[in-house]
Amino acid sequence: MFDLATVFEFTRDTVIFTVGITAVLASLGVILCSSPIYCALYLISHMICLALLFLLYNAEFLAAVQIIVYAGAVMILFLFIIALLGGKKEIQENSLERSIAFTFILTLLGELYLSATVGPTQQIEGKISPEFFGTAKAIGLELYSKHLIAFELASALLLVAAVGVICLAKFSFAPLKRR
Amino acid sequence: MGQEFVLLISSSVFCIGACGFIIRKNPLIMFMSVELMLNSVNFLLIAYSSFLNSLDGQIFALIIMTVAAAEVVVGLAIILTIFRTRHEMDVDHINALKG
Amino acid sequence: MFASSWLILLFPLAGFIYLSWYGERISKTLVGVIGCGTIGASFLTSLVALSDLLFLPAEERVGRVEVLYQWISAANFKLDLAILVDPLSVFMFLIVTGVGFVIHVYSIGYMHDDPAYSRFFSYLNLFIFSMLVLVAAADFFFLIVGWALVGLASYLLIGFYKEKTSAVLAARKAFVMNVIGDVGMVIAAFVIFESFGTLNFIDVFAAAPGTFRINDDQILLITLLLLVGAFAKSAQLPLHTWLPDAMEGPTPVSALIHAATMVTAGVYLIARCHVLYELAPYTMYLIATVGVLTAVFAGTMGMVQYDIKRVIAYSTMSQLGYMFLAMGIGVYSLGMFHLMTHAFFKALLFLAAGSVIHALDGEQDIRKMGGLQKIMPLTHATFLIGALALAGFPLTSGYFSKEAIILSSYHEDMGNFVFWAIALITAGMTAFYIFRVYFYTFSGKSRSPGAHPHESPALMDVPLLVLAALALFGGFLGPLVDEFLAPVFGREVHHHHDGLLETIALVAGVGGIATAALLYVTGKDRVGLIKELFAPLYDLVFHKYYVDEIYDLLIVKPTKAIGAFLEEKAEKKGIDYAVDEIGFQVKEVSRGISFWQTGRVRTYALNMVAGMVIILLFVVFL
Repeated sequence: MFDLATVFEFTRDTVIFTVGITAVLASLGVILCSSPIYCALYLISHMICLALLFLLYNAEFLAAVQIIVYAGAVMILFLFIIALLGGKKEIQENSLERSIAFTFILTLLGELYLSATVGPTQQIEGKISPEFFGTAKAIGLELYSKHLIAFELASALLLVAAVGVICLAKFSFAPLKRR
Repeated sequence: MGQEFVLLISSSVFCIGACGFIIRKNPLIMFMSVELMLNSVNFLLIAYSSFLNSLDGQIFALIIMTVAAAEVVVGLAIILTIFRTRHEMDVDHINALKG
Repeated sequence: MFASSWLILLFPLAGFIYLSWYGERISKTLVGVIGCGTIGASFLTSLVALSDLLFLPAEERVGRVEVLYQWISAANFKLDLAILVDPLSVFMFLIVTGVGFVIHVYSIGYMHDDPAYSRFFSYLNLFIFSMLVLVAAADFFFLIVGWALVGLASYLLIGFYKEKTSAVLAARKAFVMNVIGDVGMVIAAFVIFESFGTLNFIDVFAAAPGTFRINDDQILLITLLLLVGAFAKSAQLPLHTWLPDAMEGPTPVSALIHAATMVTAGVYLIARCHVLYELAPYTMYLIATVGVLTAVFAGTMGMVQYDIKRVIAYSTMSQLGYMFLAMGIGVYSLGMFHLMTHAFFKALLFLAAGSVIHALDGEQDIRKMGGLQKIMPLTHATFLIGALALAGFPLTSGYFSKEAIILSSYHEDMGNFVFWAIALITAGMTAFYIFRVYFYTFSGKSRSPGAHPHESPALMDVPLLVLAALALFGGFLGPLVDEFLAPVFGREVHHHHDGLLETIALVAGVGGIATAALLYVTGKDRVGLIKELFAPLYDLVFHKYYVDEIYDLLIVKPTKAIGAFLEEKAEKKGIDYAVDEIGFQVKEVSRGISFWQTGRVRTYALNMVAGMVIILLFVVFL
């Protein structure tokens, strides 16, 4: 009656659908909430949803990275800054600019949906064995062989960012004189 | 779920992020919107890496995460500095480059 | 085969570069040693090149091109960094470096107290180097390069006393006049390249007789344009006005310009291009006419000047006129010979005059001199030798070269009686004016009691003695020069012997001396009488035939007027207005569209999204 594979497939699709919709709703929450603290919380939930989706699409390692780096480090940083600067509520008023923005964004969305109808992309077969796909080992092998230069450049970028942040935070600047 | 669903989710989140960047005035929330956009693209890359059975997409996503992390750190430091010098956070008031 | 003739050029160049960089930091003695040593080394190298040529049989001395490397090779235009070593260029090397060396040694003494001592020597080295480039060039390109370099060096040296306004103005005048010549040369080079497809001397001269018939338009154009350069450099009519003014420079510079280097360039050019000139007899005739006119014209002006250096300068012009006359009537090696003897005795005269000026602390007016005979015996003797040579007194060097030219002007095919007569009159004038200076300066009593003249130091005397010996005995080199240069000019000059004409010329020279003695030794009254008698003529000549004033009226004033007019109408109301208006309008438009640039991040983001939307519209729907 019910094939096990079919049941598994159906369950997986349901989960993906639910999590995807949740991610979209969470992202809406990010931009619609007045208080920055709620925005940050919505963003964390969005990222957790994305991590789940990563997992469902065979990317265990990146799912872990997403949770640890994004939902962990980056969002904690956001929360610290909010705590430091005070989460003032923002008055959202309607303006001409705002409606222009919405128009553009809706057009963009429509166009993206249209371009989504181009049909499925052809799969490249048999490059990596399925049980091996997306693990830390596979990523590591790939990263340290094929993409070594990109990896090294990324590390240099992080170093530069670290130095830059120290400079920005350490040295005090005289207040700008407004014109 | 098929590829269309992934595209729909991803483009929706991207557009929501772009919209947030334009309509919000709080620089923190603008940064969060940027994160949204970056994440949507990451999701797309990872999903297609699975469809295409190639790890390149995941590597790409990893590099994007690195860049995003660096960008957030520097950006937040800049916001902090601006707040320290001007004692306000409305991006509309930061218009020293006005022509 | 001596293949290092490049060294001749490199020594002065090295000296120039070294002295301009380190001259201020090393001692004056060392500056003098380097300045003279480089020229001396260059002279010795020239001697080696000379002996090398002399060892060759005469028919192989036609010239050898030493190519350093190929500099430009573009389509059909090829240019080698090369020098031409043939009897003519070696002859010029010897004169330039030899006389130049003597003048350098003299300068050590003359310029000793000048604060810009090292600058002077670096310029002198540059001058010698430029002249060597000019005479060593194996094609018209480097000839023009040397031509312009000589102009530059003369500009620097004439304006050496840069705090003197008159010196700077004179330098500017010389430069402008020379540039007129340069323009002529450059256009000539264009025409030559268009006709022959090459600038190489040897190729051009080989192709010329087959390319043109006698007096073709094209060849006349080429020779005339080259002649503009030659006239400007050699101060022939009507481009002569810079030469007397060039006396503003230090005396060794005058000697160098007049004797060894600059003014001989025009003569050299005609000698070098004699193949072309022989195809254009009309131009030859023009050269001879201008030469003889310049000779008499300068001679008359020389008779009335009171500045010792100016008189000698006019005599240079006059003697150059003789050289051009020789070129024009086709006796090239006589012209070159006169160039050589002239280099000797003119350098001698200038250096002796410099010695006098040095002794009198810068006094140049001959009316304030006098009685120097006893105080400066050596200078007196050498000046006398130079004056005799210039006057063409028998058995001095000037006698041999000048008499030969005067004789040829009558006997050669191109010559005629008018040339001869004018040349003869000029010879008389020459003798007169140089002895006028001599008697004013050396005989009688001192006319400026305040001065305490003294004999010059040994470093200035030795060059005088060397040059005096050359001026006295250089004439006997005549046949040798003729034979040495014969391979270049293709033939030896026919030496005329005509007892009557020789005697007449001799009488003219001696008569000039006697007249001067009569007028200036015995008493002053006769001079005043003659001045009264020929007052308008005297006035005309004394003001140098008003040539400067005519040029001022005809060229300078209209140019200035046009300039003022254009400044008012074209520049202020045209160009300036257009530029201002463009800037103003751009500013206005920018102000109009700068409302896009709100300075707000969100607007920029909105614009970005709008752009993205439009691009996607194209991607999706088109």
